[in-house]
Amino acid sequence: MIRVTIRSLLAHKWRLVTTSIAIVLAIAFLSGTQILGGILDDSIRGLIGNVYSGYDSVVRSPDVQEAAFGEFRAPISAEAVVDSSGVEGARLAYGVVESANIQLIGKDGKVTGGGIGPPTLVMNWIDDPMRPGTLADGRGPTANDEIAIDFKGAEEQGWELGESIEIATQEGAEQYTIVGFVGLGDEANKTAGAQPVFFTDEVARSTAKLGDQYNYVAVSAKDGVSQDELASQLAEANPDLQVLTGEAFTEENQDAVAQFVGILTSVVSIFGFIALVVSTFIIYNTFSIIVAQRTRETALLRAIGARRRQVILSTLVEALIVGLVASVVGLVLGALLASALVTLLSSFFSLETGIPSIGASVIVNSLLVGLVVTTLSAIIPAIRSSRIPPIAALSEVSLDKSGMSWSRRVWGLVFLFAGIALTALGLTSTLKPELYYVGAGLLAILISVAVVLGPLLARPAAMTIAWPFGNRRGNVTAVLASENAARNPRRTAATAAALTVGVTLVSVIAVLATSVKSSVDDEIQGAFGGVDLIVSAGNFSFLGIPSEVSDSADEIDGVDIVSPVGFTFMRILDESLESESDTGAEEPAEDDVPVIGIPDDAPSGEDVVSNAIDPDTYFRIVDMGDLQGDPETLGSESLIARQSVAEDNGWDIGDTIPVYFAATGTQNLTLGLTYTDALGPGDDFYLPLETMRPNSLPGFDIDFADYIKLDNDADRDAVVAELDALVADRPDVTVQDREEFIESQTEFIDVFVNIVYALLALAVIIALIGIANTLSLSVMERTKEFGLLRAVGMSRGQLRRTIRLEAVIVAVFGTVLGIVIGIAFAAALSSALAAGEPGLVTFKLPWTQLAVIVVLAAFAGVVAAIIPARRAANMDVLAAIATD
Amino acid sequence: MAAAGAIGARKTYGEGDTAVQALDGITVNFERARFTAIMGPSGSGKSTLMHCLAGLDQLSEGRVFVGDTFLDSLSDSQLTELRRDQIGFVFQSYNLIPTLSAAENITLPMDLAGRKPDKEWVDRIVDTVHLSDRLSHRPSELSGGQQQRVAIARALASQPEIVFADEPTGNLDSRSGSEILQFMRGAVDNLGQTIVMVTHDPGAAAYAHRVVFLADGKIVHELSNPTADVVLDTMKYLGD
Repeated sequence: MIRVTIRSLLAHKWRLVTTSIAIVLAIAFLSGTQILGGILDDSIRGLIGNVYSGYDSVVRSPDVQEAAFGEFRAPISAEAVVDSSGVEGARLAYGVVESANIQLIGKDGKVTGGGIGPPTLVMNWIDDPMRPGTLADGRGPTANDEIAIDFKGAEEQGWELGESIEIATQEGAEQYTIVGFVGLGDEANKTAGAQPVFFTDEVARSTAKLGDQYNYVAVSAKDGVSQDELASQLAEANPDLQVLTGEAFTEENQDAVAQFVGILTSVVSIFGFIALVVSTFIIYNTFSIIVAQRTRETALLRAIGARRRQVILSTLVEALIVGLVASVVGLVLGALLASALVTLLSSFFSLETGIPSIGASVIVNSLLVGLVVTTLSAIIPAIRSSRIPPIAALSEVSLDKSGMSWSRRVWGLVFLFAGIALTALGLTSTLKPELYYVGAGLLAILISVAVVLGPLLARPAAMTIAWPFGNRRGNVTAVLASENAARNPRRTAATAAALTVGVTLVSVIAVLATSVKSSVDDEIQGAFGGVDLIVSAGNFSFLGIPSEVSDSADEIDGVDIVSPVGFTFMRILDESLESESDTGAEEPAEDDVPVIGIPDDAPSGEDVVSNAIDPDTYFRIVDMGDLQGDPETLGSESLIARQSVAEDNGWDIGDTIPVYFAATGTQNLTLGLTYTDALGPGDDFYLPLETMRPNSLPGFDIDFADYIKLDNDADRDAVVAELDALVADRPDVTVQDREEFIESQTEFIDVFVNIVYALLALAVIIALIGIANTLSLSVMERTKEFGLLRAVGMSRGQLRRTIRLEAVIVAVFGTVLGIVIGIAFAAALSSALAAGEPGLVTFKLPWTQLAVIVVLAAFAGVVAAIIPARRAANMDVLAAIATD
Repeated sequence: MAAAGAIGARKTYGEGDTAVQALDGITVNFERARFTAIMGPSGSGKSTLMHCLAGLDQLSEGRVFVGDTFLDSLSDSQLTELRRDQIGFVFQSYNLIPTLSAAENITLPMDLAGRKPDKEWVDRIVDTVHLSDRLSHRPSELSGGQQQRVAIARALASQPEIVFADEPTGNLDSRSGSEILQFMRGAVDNLGQTIVMVTHDPGAAAYAHRVVFLADGKIVHELSNPTADVVLDTMKYLGD
C-alpha cells in the first residue's frame, strides 16, 4: 500500500511541487524569522556586552520612570563619583554622561540617519579602557571643541580625522573637530548601530544639561576584586543610591533590546502563521481534488481487498511525505532568507554573517509545524476517500460532486456564530488577551465561509462576476468560465477562501488606516483651527527647538500668538487612581535584575507622558472642547486632566493629586482644569510649562514645538521665511502649516500600513499559487471536455480565455468576500475602539483603495491562470477525445 | 462532387521496427448528401482515417480535403475554424459539455465563432430530433439517447459541409440507437447533409447508403445500399 502511495507521488512530481510550494513558503517565512531573530539576539547581546565590558559595577539613582520607548532615570550628583572611587575595591570611578539630545549634521546639511534611526548619544570621554568602545584611530577629545565619534557613522558621511563638523544641540548648532574614531570589539571594528559622540567631560555635561551631575557612575574594580565585592562596598559608600554589578547592568540592557527583538520576531511570525492558515486551505483543497480524481483507483484497491484504514493511511502517508519534503525545503529557504537579511542589516550594525547556525528548536518547530499542518489538512480528504465503495471502480468516473449536506450547513453556521461571538467577546475586551479571541473568531468565520457561505455564494457570484464579460449573452467563453467556476462550489469556495484570508486582513488594515487618518485629520483641523504654523523638530526628537525661538517668533511682524509646548514623564500614583483602565499607560515593569542597596523606589502608579503647555496662550488657539476650571489659576503646581479621567477617578477641580517625577519625587499638584477633547487618544494629562520645567529630568526641559497663530492680515510667506531664518542652524527643525503638520502626524500610519501589506503579500501569493494549483488539477480533470470543445471548433485562444476568466472569477470572488468580511471587522473594531475612546476612529471606507484591490485580484487571477491555461490549450485534442 | 475525401493517405505511428501503418495508402471520396459508413475490425484504421479527415490528426503522406480545402495547407487555427464551421462531430461518449444546457450545446460551434445561429434552421433541427421540450435541460438531466440527439442537433445546426460520427450508437440501447440512426439517415435524405459514420455494428451500417470496409489500413471492400445481413456476411467473408 505504501508502495502505491510512493508510486503515485512519483508519477505526479509536478503536483507534489505545486502542493508543497504553499507550505514551503510559509515554513521558510517562519523559520527565516526565527533564525534571523536568533542571530539578531546573539549579535546584539554580544555588542552590548562589549559596550559595557569595562564596567564592574554601576551606581545610579533609584528614581526611574518607564515610557513606551524606554526607561528614564534621574541623574546623580558628581559626589557619587568621589564616594565611589574611595571604596577599597575600586580602581577607577567614571561618572558617565549618556544622553540622546544631539544630532550630527551631515555633509548634505541634514541630520544623520534622518533623525529617526538609532540614537545619537552624548557621551563623556575618559582616558581609560573601561569606557564603552575602543579607539580605532586618532585620540580622545582633550579640548572643548574636540570629539571622538563612531567610525561607522563617520565612514558613511566620509568624515576624516581633523575634519570640522556641525552638531545640533538644544541651543542651536556648534562646530567640533573630529580627533578620534571609536568602535567596539578588540579591533574596534564593530558598531552597535547607535552613534556615540564623545565630548570632553565639561562639554558633555553641559550639552546633556546635567550641570554637576552624571547619568550614572561606572566603577572598575581592582585586580582580584570580584564584581559582587565591589558592588557591596559601593552600596555602603552610597547609601541613597542603587548599585548593580556590571554583569547585571549589561544583562538589563541586553534584555531590553532582546525583548524588543523578541516582540518584533513574534509580530512578524504572526504573518507566517497567517500564511500557514492559507496553506492549510490549499493543501486541503488539493488533497480533496486528488482523492476525487482517484476515485476509480481507490475503488479498485478496495475491490481487490484494501481495507479502509489502508486507504486512509495511504493518503496520510502521501501528505506526510509532502509535508516533510516541504518543511525541509522551507527550512533551507528560511536559512537563506535569514542570511540575506543579515547581510542587508549588516550595513546598519555589526552582525554575525556567514552561514547562520540553525538552532535545534527552529528545526524541530519547522518540521513539526510543516508535518502537522499538512497531515491535518489531509485528514478529511483521506476519510472521504476511504468511504468510496468498491463498486465505484466499475461505474463511470464520478468526479468531485459537491453537494451541501445538512450537517455541513449546520457546522458552517456553528462556526459562523462561534466566530462572530468570539470576535465580539474579544472586541468588547471582557476577555484577555483580546487579540487571540479576535484571531480565533476571524479564523472560525473564514472556515464557515469556506465551508458553507462560500459554496452557497459560489454560483451567484460566478454568474455576477462573469456578467461584464458577456455571460448568458452569447459569449460562450464567459458562460463556460462561470459554469466551470460554479460547478464545484466547494472547491471554488475553498480555493477562494485562501485568498479571502489575506484580503480580509488587507481590508481591515486599509479601512482602519483610512479611518484613523481621517479622524486625525478631523481632530487636528477641528482643534487646531486657530493654529496657522507649527515649528517642530519632528515626532521622535529629544532635542526640541531652541527655547529662544518662541520669544523671537513673537517679535515677527504678522505673528499674533506663539504658544510653546513640551512634554514630561510622570506617574499618577495608585492612591489617587480609582480605576486602572483609563489612562492607557503601562504599569511599570517589574525589575528582575538583582540590585544592591536601594531598589527602584518610587510609589507605584501609572507612568504617563504628559503634554506641557503655556496656559496663557494655548487655550486661545487650540480648542480642547469644554473646559472646566480657570486657565488663569494654573501655576507651578497645577495639573490638567481629561474630564472623563477626572470623573472616573472622582477628582474635582481644586483637588490635590500627588504625582511622581523621577527628577523631583512626589509633588502635590492641584487639578486646575479639565477638558473634553484632546488630539491623541493617550493625551489624558497636561501640565503648565511652569509645572513641567522644574520637575523635568535634565535635557527634557525643552520646547517640543511652537504653535503659531498669525494676524488676519499677515503675510504668511514672509513670516515663514523669517521663522525659517530663526532655525536656520537646526536642519531638523521645520516650519509647517496645518496641512503639512497633519501629514507629518499621519505619515507613520502609511509606513506601518505598507509594512503590513508587504508582510501579508506572502499569504496572498500562497493563495494565488493555490488558485493556479486547483485550476491545473481541474484542467486535468476536464481533459475530455476541453478535447470536445477543441474538436467542435474552440480555438486555443478561446480555451485560454475561458480558463483565465475562471481564475479571475475565483480570485475576485475570494477578494470581494475578503473585503466584505474585512469591512465588517474594521467596523466592529472601530466601534469597539470608539466605545472606549470617542473620536479615536471615525469609520471611513477607502473606496478607491478597495476598488484597486479588486482590480489587482482580477489581474492576479490572470497571472495564476497562465500555466493551467497554457496546459489546457496545448493538450492533444486527439488524446483528449479518444475513448478508452 | 465529393464533400470530403482522401488521396493516397498514409499514416505511420512510431519509427523503425516498431512502426505501425495505420493507414496504408487510402484514396476515397465521400459524396455530398450521402450517408457513408466506414467499417472494419479494431486496428483497421477506421478511426484514424476519420480523425485525419476531420483535421484532428495529420497524415504522414497523402492529402485529405473537406469541401474545396486541402487540410495539409492549414495552420492549427485554420483547422480549428474549419472544424467549427464546416465539420460536425458526433462521438460515442462525452459528446456534450456538462455545464451547458441542451440549447447552448447545440449552438456551441456558432457561439464559438461569434455567429448568430440561423434560428429557423436550428428550430427545424430541434424539431426533427424531438428535443423542443428538453432545450433548457443540462446533459445530466437527459437520457443517453437524448444526449446523443442533442449531439446530432449540434453537429447539424451549423450546416456543416460534412458530419463525422464515431460509433454514435456504441453506448446506447438498441431502441435509442436505431432512433439515432434514423435521424441521421433522415438528415441526409431530407436536409441534404453529408454524414460519414465509423461503426463496427452491421445493424448501424445498414442505415447508410454506402459501406466502406477497411482492414490493415487499406480499403478492402465497398457495398451500396446494404442490409444488415449483407454487411454481416461481408464482415465474415473479410474476416476469414
